This record gives sequence, C-alpha cells and structure tokens, in this order.
Amino acid sequence: MRRREFLKAGMVGGTAVAVGGPFVLRQADAQNPIKIGLPTVLSGGNAQYGTQAKRACQLFGKEVNARGGILGRPVEFIYEDTGADPATAVRKAQKLVEKDGVKILTGTVLSSEALAVSAKCPEWKVILMSTINGAGALTAKSYNRYFFRVNTSGPMGARAVSLYLAEAPMKRFFGLGSDYAWGRDSVASFSAQIVAAKKEVVGRDYPPVGTKDFASYIGKIRQSRAEGCYLVLPGQDATIFLKQAHQFGLTREVKPIMEIVELENIKAVGEAMVGTIGSSRYPFTVDTPKNRDFVKRFHAMHGVYPDMFDGETYEGLEWLAQVMQKAGTADDVEKIIAAWEDSSYEGLEGPFFMRKCDHQAVQPGFAVEVVKDPAYPHPVPKILATYPGDRVTPKCRTEEFV
Amino acid sequence: MAIFVEQLLNALALAGLLFLVSAGLSLVFGILRVVNFAHGVFYMLGAYLGFTTVAVSGWFWPALLVVPPVVGVVGALLEASTLRFIYRRPPIYQLLLTFGLALILEESVRVLYGPTAKGIDPPPLLEGAIGIAGTLYPRYRLFLIVLSLAVGAAVWLFLQKTRSGLVIRAVAQNSEMADCLGADIARVRTWVFGAACALAGLGGVAAAPMTTAYLGMGIGVIVDAFVVVVIGGLGSIPGSMAGSLIVGAAQTWGAYYLPETAMVIMYAVMGAILIFRPWGLFGEEE
Amino acid sequence: MNGPRALALAALAALAALPWVLARHQLSILTDLLIFGLFALSLDLIMGYTGMVSFGHAAYFGLGAYGSALVLVHSGQPVPVALLAGALLAGVVALPVGWFSTRATGIYFAMLTLAFAQLLYTVAYKWRDLTGGSDGLAGVPKTTLFWGGPSLATPHAYYFLVTACVVLALLLCRALVRSPFGRALQAIRENERRFVALGRAARPFKLVVFVIAAALAGLAGALFAPFRGFASPEVMFWVLSGQGLMMVLTGGIGTLIGPILGAMVFILIQEVLSSYTEHWMIFSGAVFVLMVIFLPGGLVGTARRLVTRA
Repeated sequence: MRRREFLKAGMVGGTAVAVGGPFVLRQADAQNPIKIGLPTVLSGGNAQYGTQAKRACQLFGKEVNARGGILGRPVEFIYEDTGADPATAVRKAQKLVEKDGVKILTGTVLSSEALAVSAKCPEWKVILMSTINGAGALTAKSYNRYFFRVNTSGPMGARAVSLYLAEAPMKRFFGLGSDYAWGRDSVASFSAQIVAAKKEVVGRDYPPVGTKDFASYIGKIRQSRAEGCYLVLPGQDATIFLKQAHQFGLTREVKPIMEIVELENIKAVGEAMVGTIGSSRYPFTVDTPKNRDFVKRFHAMHGVYPDMFDGETYEGLEWLAQVMQKAGTADDVEKIIAAWEDSSYEGLEGPFFMRKCDHQAVQPGFAVEVVKDPAYPHPVPKILATYPGDRVTPKCRTEEFV
Repeated sequence: MAIFVEQLLNALALAGLLFLVSAGLSLVFGILRVVNFAHGVFYMLGAYLGFTTVAVSGWFWPALLVVPPVVGVVGALLEASTLRFIYRRPPIYQLLLTFGLALILEESVRVLYGPTAKGIDPPPLLEGAIGIAGTLYPRYRLFLIVLSLAVGAAVWLFLQKTRSGLVIRAVAQNSEMADCLGADIARVRTWVFGAACALAGLGGVAAAPMTTAYLGMGIGVIVDAFVVVVIGGLGSIPGSMAGSLIVGAAQTWGAYYLPETAMVIMYAVMGAILIFRPWGLFGEEE
Repeated sequence: MNGPRALALAALAALAALPWVLARHQLSILTDLLIFGLFALSLDLIMGYTGMVSFGHAAYFGLGAYGSALVLVHSGQPVPVALLAGALLAGVVALPVGWFSTRATGIYFAMLTLAFAQLLYTVAYKWRDLTGGSDGLAGVPKTTLFWGGPSLATPHAYYFLVTACVVLALLLCRALVRSPFGRALQAIRENERRFVALGRAARPFKLVVFVIAAALAGLAGALFAPFRGFASPEVMFWVLSGQGLMMVLTGGIGTLIGPILGAMVFILIQEVLSSYTEHWMIFSGAVFVLMVIFLPGGLVGTARRLVTRA
C-alpha cells in the first residue's frame, strides 16, 4: 500500500469510527428516560443564547435526576446545533422528533427558527416550549396550540420600559432597532406606547444585523437631540453600538434604553454600560428566596451568574416538570397541553400563569438600570421597577395592550 | 458643515479598517492567484490575540507590534502545510481549501475564548473624543485613519522600491518566468501569504477597540473585503485603497442618507462598477 | 449491459426500494439530501461544463422556494403548479442577471452573481408584506399531486415526487451536455478565446445555460419549501451559494452525478458531526482540507480514476 492510499484508507476508517461510535454509546442508555430536544444555536455569532439554554438544562437535569427524575423517570437532554439557520433548525427538530422520539422541543433561538419549527409542531404532534423567542407573532398571528411561551416576549419588554419611561422626566426618544422582525416590531410597539404617554419619538432607524460601524447612526441620534435612545439590537450588535456610542461621547448626552439588558453585553462593554436602563426578561438580581438560592446553585455549577435565558429556560423546565407531574404523563402531548393551560407556577422572578387563549405566560416585567456593585466582578442590572403580569402582558393573541 | 466633516471622517475611518484587511487579500490574489476565504479569520485571530496581549501586558501598544507577526507565522505555516500542494489546480479548489481552514480556525478561537465578545479599551492617549469643526470625534478613529495611510504607504514603497518587492512583483507578473530567472517561488509565496495574514492580524488588533473581538467578525469582514478588492482590481494595492474608500463611503453615507439601502448599497455599487469596468478600477483584463 | 448502465439501474432500484427499508427520519433526511443534490447538480451545469463559477446560485434556489411557497400558501394549488412557478420565477429573474454577469469572466463573474444575489436577498428580506421578511413564510402545505389527486403529505409520496424530479433533471442535464449545445459549452470552458476566434459568440450560450441552471435550482427550492414547510431569506443567502460550491467539488466537478452525491456527503458530514460535538466545524473543516489535498477529482472523479487504473 502506497502512502497516499494508506492515508485515504485511514480517512475512510476514521470517518466510519466517528460516525458509528456514538450510536453504540447511545444505545446503551436504556431505562426509558424523558427526552427533551433542543434544536438550538451552539456555533457562530448567536451561540451565547444556545449556551445559556444548555447551561440551564445541565443544572436542571442534574438536580431533577438527583431527586429521582420526573414521574420516576430520568430526564435526558439532546442538543442539536442549528447554526442559526431555520432550514437546519427544522431538519434538526424533525430528527429529534422522528429519530429520538422527543415530545418536547425547546431552546430555539431566532424568531425565524421558532416560527418555522412551531408551524411544523401540529403535524409532528409535539410541544415547542419557547424560553428565548421574543417575536410577538408566535402567540398572536402564528399561534398554534402546540406552542407555549414561558418567557417574556418582545412586546412585553417594550411595555415594561414604556411604563417606566411614562413616569420618567425624559420626553424625546430615538428608536434604533435591527433591521428584522424583532427590531422593527419592538420599535413600533415602543413608539406607539411612548406617543400614548404624550411623549415624542424624534427619529427611527434600522441598521442591518451585523453592522460593525454605527458611526452614521450615532451622528443621527445626536442631531435628533433625543434624551433617550431605545435600542433593540441583538447581543453582538448592541455591544458594538454601546462601545462606539461611548467613544463618540454620545452616552453622556443620550440615555441608552435597551429592550433587553443582558449580562453578555455588560461583560463585553464593561463600565461604559453603567447607567444604561431597559427591561430584563430575567434579571438575576431579583430578590426572592427562590431566586437567591438558584443563583447560588447556578454559580456553583457554572462559575458565572445566570443571564436572562439561563433563568427563563430554568423556569420553563421547572414548570414543565410540574405540568407533567400534574398530567401524570410525559408522553401524552394532548394531556400535557390540557394540564398546562390555565395553570400557575411560582417562578424565580415571581408568579407565572399560562393563558389558555394564546399560551403566553403572564409574568412580572422589570425595568432595570446597569450599576456597579462591589459584590460582583462586573456591573449588574439593578431593578428599578417591577410590574405585575397583567400590566405587561398584551391582550390575548395580539401584540397590543389595554 | 459639522455633519459633513463628521460623515467624511466616518467614511475615512471605515475605509482605513477595510484597507488593512483587503490589502493582504489583494496581495495574495495577485501573487498566489488564491482567493483566500480564510483571510477574515486571520483578522479575527488578530483581534482576539490583541485582547490577550492587552490582558496580559495591560498595554495596547505592544499588541499592535506583537500580534501581526504571530498571525503572520500562523498563516505562513498553514500555507506551507496545505496550500503549497495545490497551486496547479483551478482556483476554486484553493477557495475550498481556505474555506476549510476558516472553519477550523473560527471554531478553534471559540474553543479558546468562549462565545462572549471581548472588549479592548483604546490606549489612554487615544481615549475619548476631541472637537473638530464643531463636532466631537473619537481620537481612536483618527488614529485608525493615520495608521492605515502609513501601512498603505509602507506596503507600496516596499513593493516598488526594494529588491524583495521587485521579486514579488516579478512573480505576480509571470511566476514561471520568475522561476526561470532564479526566484524561489515557493518561498516568495509563503512569505507573501504570511505577510498578508500579518496585515489582516494588524487590522484585527486595530479594529478591536472599535468593534470588540467577537466570533463571526471574520466572516462579516471577508465579504466586504472581497467587494473592496474586486472594485479596485485584484492584485492592485492602489486599487484596494480606492475600493476601501468607495465601500467605506457607500456604507457610511448610505446608512446616513439612504438608510433603507444600508443592507445592499455596497453590492449595488460593486455591481454598477463591474458592469462598466468588468475588471475593476485598477485591474487588468485577463 | 455495460458497467455504468448497470450501476444506474441498480441506483434507480435502490431509490425505489429505500422507502421500505429506511426509518422515517432517515427517509426525510434522504429527501432533504436529494433536494440539495438537485441544487448542486444545477450548479455543476454552469460550473463544471461551462467554467462559470457563480457565487450567487442560492438566489435561484431561494426564488424557487418563495415562488412555490407563495403559490401554496395563498392558492393551495397542487404541488406541481408550485414547482413550475418556482422554476419559472428563478429562470425569468436569471435572464437579466445572466445578461449583465456574462459580460465578465472568472472571479469578476462570480462577484457580479454575488452582487445580484445579495440584491435579491435584500428584496426578500425587506418586502415583509409579501415574503414575511426575516421571519419568512411558515406553514407551507404539501398539497396534492394534481387537482383532486392524491395528497403528497405522506413522507413516501413526497419522497417519490422529489426522486422523480431529481432523476428527470439528471437525465435532462445529461442529454444537454452531450448535445451540440453542450459541446459548445465545453469548448467555451476549455478556451473561450479560441471559441470566439472561430467566429462564434460565446455569450448567448453562457446566458442560456445560466438560465437553465437557475431554473433547475429554482425547482430544487420549490421542492424544498413545502418539504420543510417554510421559506426564509436564509435560503437565498450567500452562505448557501458557498455550500453549493463545496457540494460540487466534494462530489466531483463536471460529472453531474458527482455533485448529487457531493451534496449528500456534505450535508451528512455536518449532520452527523454536529449531533455529537459542538465543535463540528473543526472536524468538517479538516475533512474539506484533506479532501481537497488528497481527492482532487472529488468523490466521483477519484473513483473513476481508481477504476480506470485497476
């Protein structure tokens, strides 16, 4: 065998081992576990969100299995990387359903992924539990009864900030949202509520996702003489914007207001983010006994403080376990749906209620400010105001508020 | 007036950054005839290594000096261990190979640094903004403009005025002829590839205080850089400079005056130029 | 019966028998692979046989997907109507794009096709009323084979529809490259200047094959939308164009059957690796690097060389 042929043979053999090996390992795992599938983003620019979902699952899985599982069965999570592509997300979700036999999907990151997967759930007869997706449409125009949203939606976040700003002295606002559904819808929702509060939106702009230089937008915001700038930018874009706005000295003139205040951003931007206000779907500084204990356990396992989707995903899983206990089944999807509808749950951040009419979880909304706190290695979100669920949740199957 | 000056500076700063990335891409194409898809990943590698250097030394300036050679060595090693064997194939194979390298490097950076973006502060000297023509402008961006002009001049002088530059230009013109005349083609290729990667690394370090170091920054910039290089004409350094200015201006002014076109204006400009000059502004018909 | 023909018949028999052998999820993966195989096949027509490397081929796949999705969502016509609409839309849009792009050659041609593809992507992304913007169009139904005909909603039925389309497209492409038209294309690939010097215009040939390839990519996209149930801007993003090139090269450029296999291997490698490690990109990157260095003709090219040597 000549060298080149040897190498070829080696490659083929190596691939066969790589492909075949894990199958064997997985076969050994019997005892009928409850499988939960996560078609989530684990590579590329949005990987931080998938990583958060995964961290929450790891903690929940360890704890629940130590207590004997759900209904006496261990819980097993199967992670699949979608690479932030909806086509791959559907393919992976279908694989989880058809091959692994999961009845519960969760962990979808992008709205487009969630909408695509959710539309397939009635056909597959599985539940998609959102703990990350913000698009209002998921529980409104695109509602189907196999979709449950445990997390605060985008319009709910915009609502919480608007309620806070209605009482703040600022009067003139600029809306800056990424050029896709979330950014545009949230800026629209925010504008409507600010105008309703007799204040003014002096400008709006929609930079493309992945913008690396915001200088032009910063110039526009400054000229608009706004007092506050409402930002609806996904993680990385928000980090870059805040860095550059700080360098331009904009943050001294215009208050940054973010629809989601994330630890990921705070860590990357650093002190320049102190003073930023906004809403948080789950601020880890919520002072409930349940949350204090959770933060401690989470930090012990992962060595970091839980970010928004760590908390929201953990809450979703805990609620789901409670629902499965109540329904007495982890396999009969129809029974799980029936048990979940109109049920209550005491979450980390306060009381939750799953509305039957649109499967949106009613839950508290938070306005927060980024502050320095010597107890933590980085600035943290401090809670400025907490709004009860009925004030921040939109009317059923709409994105509008009373 | 203030707005105009500010937008002009914005365009120049972005053009400077684009030039640092695209100059190397253009060189590699001109001399190796390789469309290097991995070029953007070397830019990203530069930004992350810059973060590490700043974190370790507590200073920004050493990063600017240390990181480019390191990235250059990584690039040269990869060229010598992979690309070297396939120069005789059609260019599309080299693109595929560099795509594979880009995947490996991108993911390796994630394994090493994790998914969170890494911020670098500008050096104290360049912190904050100064008043120019009635507007506040960040010092760091002014530095970027100066840096890219200096690098552009240095590369051009090197190619035009030194003996090594002469050999490189000879290989670019006709590699077989240069081979006959005694130039060590393999060595020239490795050096040029390494130097181009070092330039990308320099761009990455320079970009980090402005954009932070983040995953995906390489993929994001490589498409822009391709557009720059194609507008300017492949293999031409003055072309890269012109292309950078055009793309920088299109992106900043487009975002300002025609915000709805921000996603696509760069491609529209490239399309328009190629329709009238199918070989780019400074390129030669093949 | 000669070797290749026996092989082809065996492959056909295998395709027909597979639905009864494979598990359900395997069948849906196979359907997916065949759809992308068709996409890669269409790219090979311009890339392998005419030497035109396009960086924007995903645009036509995407146009096909949107065309078919719109027909199915709004009118509920039978799937073949949607397929026709998708392929037509892609072909019609490719006409002006091809007319401009074929003015340039080589890398400049590639970049022009990329520019137009990004333009089309932006239209799909921004035209929210029609396309759903970044969220895309979800809930695309698999309707029927013809008016009042059998439903295509079962995995088997849709698999056979896709298989039929791929086999027909393959036969069409084979006939095309063996015709005088196809020989002219290959003459252009080998030496465009000589072709022109012989007194023939190259551009009309290039334009026609560009439009045919786009329509076939559109057909693939039109099959994709009802299969996955949605169309979103990602299906026309340059990333998919790049993946198309990888599929063709993996399978073997200029072999027609190769790119179909290449698409399958390309997707399967990522599918399998990404199920077992988050860091699958490192491994698939390494596979590409090794493949380029050690399998220059792609899978089919290398296999043929081994066979002729033996």
